[in-house]
Amino acid sequence: MTEEITWILRAQQGDEDAFTCLVQVYQRPVYNLCYRMLGEPEAAEDAAQDTFLKVYQNLTRYDRERPFATWLLSIAAHHCIDKLRRRRFLSFSIDKDDENQTEIPDRFAPDPETEAVKQQECDRLHDLLQSLDPLDRAAIILRYWHEASEVEIADMLHLTVPAVKSRLHRARRALARMWQEETPRLQAERKPYESPAF
Amino acid sequence: MNHRPFEDWLLAENPLTPQQERELTAHLQICPSCSSLAEVSLALRTVQQAGPPAGFVSRFQVRLAAQRQAMRRKHVAGFVVLAGSVVVLSIGLGWPTWEIAIHSPVDFIGSWLVSLTNLWASLQVLFHAATVLLRVAPGFVPAYLWGLVLFAFTGWSALWVVSFRKTAKIWQGV
Repeated sequence: MTEEITWILRAQQGDEDAFTCLVQVYQRPVYNLCYRMLGEPEAAEDAAQDTFLKVYQNLTRYDRERPFATWLLSIAAHHCIDKLRRRRFLSFSIDKDDENQTEIPDRFAPDPETEAVKQQECDRLHDLLQSLDPLDRAAIILRYWHEASEVEIADMLHLTVPAVKSRLHRARRALARMWQEETPRLQAERKPYESPAF
Repeated sequence: MNHRPFEDWLLAENPLTPQQERELTAHLQICPSCSSLAEVSLALRTVQQAGPPAGFVSRFQVRLAAQRQAMRRKHVAGFVVLAGSVVVLSIGLGWPTWEIAIHSPVDFIGSWLVSLTNLWASLQVLFHAATVLLRVAPGFVPAYLWGLVLFAFTGWSALWVVSFRKTAKIWQGV
C-alpha cells in the first residue's frame, strides 16, 4: 500500500516508470472488467489501454483520500459503459470471438472434468452478461468478479446504495431467467460424453 | 407458484438457518425459477478473472509514447498556425497604417489621437444614453412584467443547473 502511494506520487510528478508499476499491478482487474463488460478480448484490450491512458493524463486530479483501485475501476467501468452506449447507438453487429480469452485455471481444481464444467458455466455466464443493461452489468461484474461491496459499487458507478442493491437483484433475476430459458437447449445440445452442469 | 421468501433468501445471499436451508432445498426441487436463480448465484460465486494477453504493459508503453508524440505534434502545429495567422493578419491589416507611419509619423500619431478622442466621446454618449434609459424605462414597464422576467430567469437558471447535473459526468478526476 505504501509502495502504491509512492508510485502514485512519483507518477504524478511525471515518472513514467512509476506509472508502469501501477499498470503492472492493475492490468488484470482492469482488463477483466473491460472484458466482462464488452465481451470481446480485442475490445477489452483497447478499453483497458484507454483507461490507463486516461488515468495517466488525469493522475494529478486523483484524490488520495479515495482508494486508487476504486478510482481506477470507476474510470474503466464508465469508459466501457460509454463504449457500449456508443456501440448500441451505432447498432454495430458484434461477432463473438473467444479464442484469445485467457482464463487462469484454478491450481487447486479437483479434476479436469469439474474444471471443464466450471469453465463452461463461466463462459455461459459471460455470454448472458452481454444481454444486461450496461450499468447492471457493471454492478454485477464489480460485485462478483472484483468482490466490491455495495458501498464501493455505489461510489464507483455514482449510484446510491439502494439503487445498487436494486440493480444487482434485477440483474440476477434477469440472468436466472435467461439461464432457465437456455437450459433445455443446452441439455439437448450436450454430447453424450459430457457431464451435466448440476 | 409462491417464490416468497425463497427468492428473497437467494437474492439477499445471507447465511440461512438449518431449517431455512431444508425448506429452500425442498422448494428448489419443484421450482425451476428459483432453481435457476440458485444456479446463477452459484456460478457467480465461482467466477474467475480474465487476464490480458502477455505484453500488455509493453503495448501500453508504446501507446503512451505514440500519444505523447501525437500531442507534441498537435501543439507544434497549433503554434505554427497561430503564429502564421498573427503574421498574416498583421501584414494584411496593418500595411496601409505602416505606410503612413513610415512616410509621415506626425500625421500618423495625430490620426491615432483623433481616433482615441472620438472613441472616448462615443463611449461617454453611450453611457449617458444608458443612464437615461435606465431611469425612464422602469416607469413604462408594469410591475408584473418585472416579476415575470425574474420568474423566467430563475426558472431558466434552475433548468440549466438540473440539466447540467444530469448530463455532465461529475465524477472525480475525469
